[in-house]
Amino acid sequence: MWKKIFDWLDERLGLVDLYKNLLDRPEPQGNWWNTLGSASLFLFIMQAVTGIFLTVYYTPSPDHAYDSINYIMNGVAFGWLIRGIHHWGATLMVIVVFVHMLRVFFTASFKYPREMTWLIGVGLFLLTLGMGFTGYLLPWNQKSYWATTVGTQIAGTVPFLGDFILKALRGGSNLSALTLQRFFAAHIWMLPAALAGLIGAHLYLIIKHGESHFPTKDD
Amino acid sequence: MDDETKQKIKERYQRQVNRGERFWPDSIFKDLIVSLAIFTLLILLATFIGVASEPKADPSDTSYIPRPEWYFLFLFKFLAIYGQIPVLGKIEWIATVLVPGIAMLVLTLLPFIDRTPNRYYTKRALPISIMALVVVDIILLTLMADVPTVSENGSKLVGWLQAVAGLAIPGLTMIALFLMAFAFKNISAKTMFWMTAIASVLMIGFTGSVLAIAPKPTATAEGTVATTLVDQIFAGQDLYSVNCTECHGDDGKVTKIEGVKGLEGKEIPPINGHDVLYTLDDASLAEVIAYGRPDAGMNPFGKTYNPAGLSKSEIDYIVIFMRYTWDDRFEMPAEALKPLFPPLAEGEVPSYDVHIQPIVKRYCLACHRAGKENNNFLMDSYENILSTGDNKDKDIIAGDPNSYFLQVIQGHAIPDPKDPTKTLIRTMPPNSQLKPNIVDALIRWIMAGMPRTAEDAAKLTVTPAPATGPAGTPSVTPTP
Repeated sequence: MWKKIFDWLDERLGLVDLYKNLLDRPEPQGNWWNTLGSASLFLFIMQAVTGIFLTVYYTPSPDHAYDSINYIMNGVAFGWLIRGIHHWGATLMVIVVFVHMLRVFFTASFKYPREMTWLIGVGLFLLTLGMGFTGYLLPWNQKSYWATTVGTQIAGTVPFLGDFILKALRGGSNLSALTLQRFFAAHIWMLPAALAGLIGAHLYLIIKHGESHFPTKDD
Repeated sequence: MDDETKQKIKERYQRQVNRGERFWPDSIFKDLIVSLAIFTLLILLATFIGVASEPKADPSDTSYIPRPEWYFLFLFKFLAIYGQIPVLGKIEWIATVLVPGIAMLVLTLLPFIDRTPNRYYTKRALPISIMALVVVDIILLTLMADVPTVSENGSKLVGWLQAVAGLAIPGLTMIALFLMAFAFKNISAKTMFWMTAIASVLMIGFTGSVLAIAPKPTATAEGTVATTLVDQIFAGQDLYSVNCTECHGDDGKVTKIEGVKGLEGKEIPPINGHDVLYTLDDASLAEVIAYGRPDAGMNPFGKTYNPAGLSKSEIDYIVIFMRYTWDDRFEMPAEALKPLFPPLAEGEVPSYDVHIQPIVKRYCLACHRAGKENNNFLMDSYENILSTGDNKDKDIIAGDPNSYFLQVIQGHAIPDPKDPTKTLIRTMPPNSQLKPNIVDALIRWIMAGMPRTAEDAAKLTVTPAPATGPAGTPSVTPTP
């Protein structure tokens, strides 16, 4: 009976092919440092799940952002846990992604044929930092408000384009409701969409070329 | 890269794969263990450290020292150190845009810069050494981020040490490494790694000395953040007592201001009724407090006009306090209805710490603090209550029921001894009458000799004879 159902599904979904191509692959002898990539992916998923829960109560407006976070922390059942995981997950994700990049650098895994994997990886690293930067403003507290003021000011020091970049980031010459709104949009739509797309490409390339092996004297 | 090298790389990889493992279950198993460890760590961090509460954003508070997220702190420190360089240090965008931009560009284009097929570490001494220095520098700059570049006595030593540790040593070492790699081609990888290690140890040493001579950060008493409704109501009550009672009275129903310099005799609407609470929403109330009502005599209390004013969070607490205390559409939570001080038993002597301080804070401190018109009688500490004021000899006399203080709180103004038609001290508080249990506590305190701590008060307490019965039950009316 089960066999029949499985065969029916396999015929239509290609489960056996999927298993053979995705999971039952030969890999070089593993190394614990090689788990950092999957750890980054795991953290991304955790951030996505907890972030989606947070948007249920969070309000991106200067009048209500602070109070809505306060409500999440004190009023919502397990809201403190969800926000705590999201907060610490952000910190851990920056660390894990950075260390993952260092591992690839020190073992020279970015070399032929994995140059494109590296390029996409740098993009993922920058997007992760962007997520950190945009997410930091959302609680609309003193720390986040002034950190963003200074952060956008630094972006405004770019010669010639500085003023334009500053105004584009802030949605005007000052930090306002518009800034919060566009940081929110970037944090929950633009950057995650870009991240998800690049993660897909990154994973495809890893499956295509296989994990690199730990370099030996011959390499 | 020619086809022959590519072929070699592929063959080598194939050999490694042949004596390797399966993706499922071998690699996935390791991945799952690490992910599980991270998940556990996240739960522990969220549960036991949590997220610190911060006060609400206040754009008018220009005294706040901004700090970026911790992972950008190293850039912040780099910028500060770079700013010390004469002439070049003034061109900000070199440090904010050019240097990070070039670093990111090199990082991105790495596969096209480091194009040799070599992967073993001894064959990549230069890139590994440079990256190691960069990572050590990032970590050290992050550690030094809280230390200012100029110490409080104006000495620039700490700034120079930071520049040596964070900029000079790594910079010079990198230049030396490049020279070694390109000018003396046959230099051994070992020499380069040793050089990197020595430079790192030096950097760590200098950073250690910076951290050692840096002034220890003093715990700044930032306004505490009230997160629960009850805490917010209490915080609002305290802020209201200090900032608002002077004009509006402790119950908000004052219609004519008395005894306030500049506003004497001004007629104001009571703020505890429908006219204010029903017609203004929270945001409008907060704005009135922050920016004032110049036409109605209301002073601004926010930071826009006065850097020492109330923060956004503090104003919010006052609004919440007003709502839950006077607005009949809101119900005061039961936990917020605790008495101002523990009720006194018969014969019990109140102490400053437990009973008198909360009373003073609620009813007196608004006027009896520095900078107000109060005959120089300051009530902000135990010592000041007993030793300040123009009439300090007669204000508070232990055991004397005719002490000025006791007279005025019981509704007897003190006439001026030189001119009996004038009053020296009017009744206190100027626009309301203290509740009997509060007057009782103050009388007992002064009659017993103004004990400061609960222990001192306990020594003075007279246990009533059991025969007296319930006749003299002390007032236990809780004050909201």
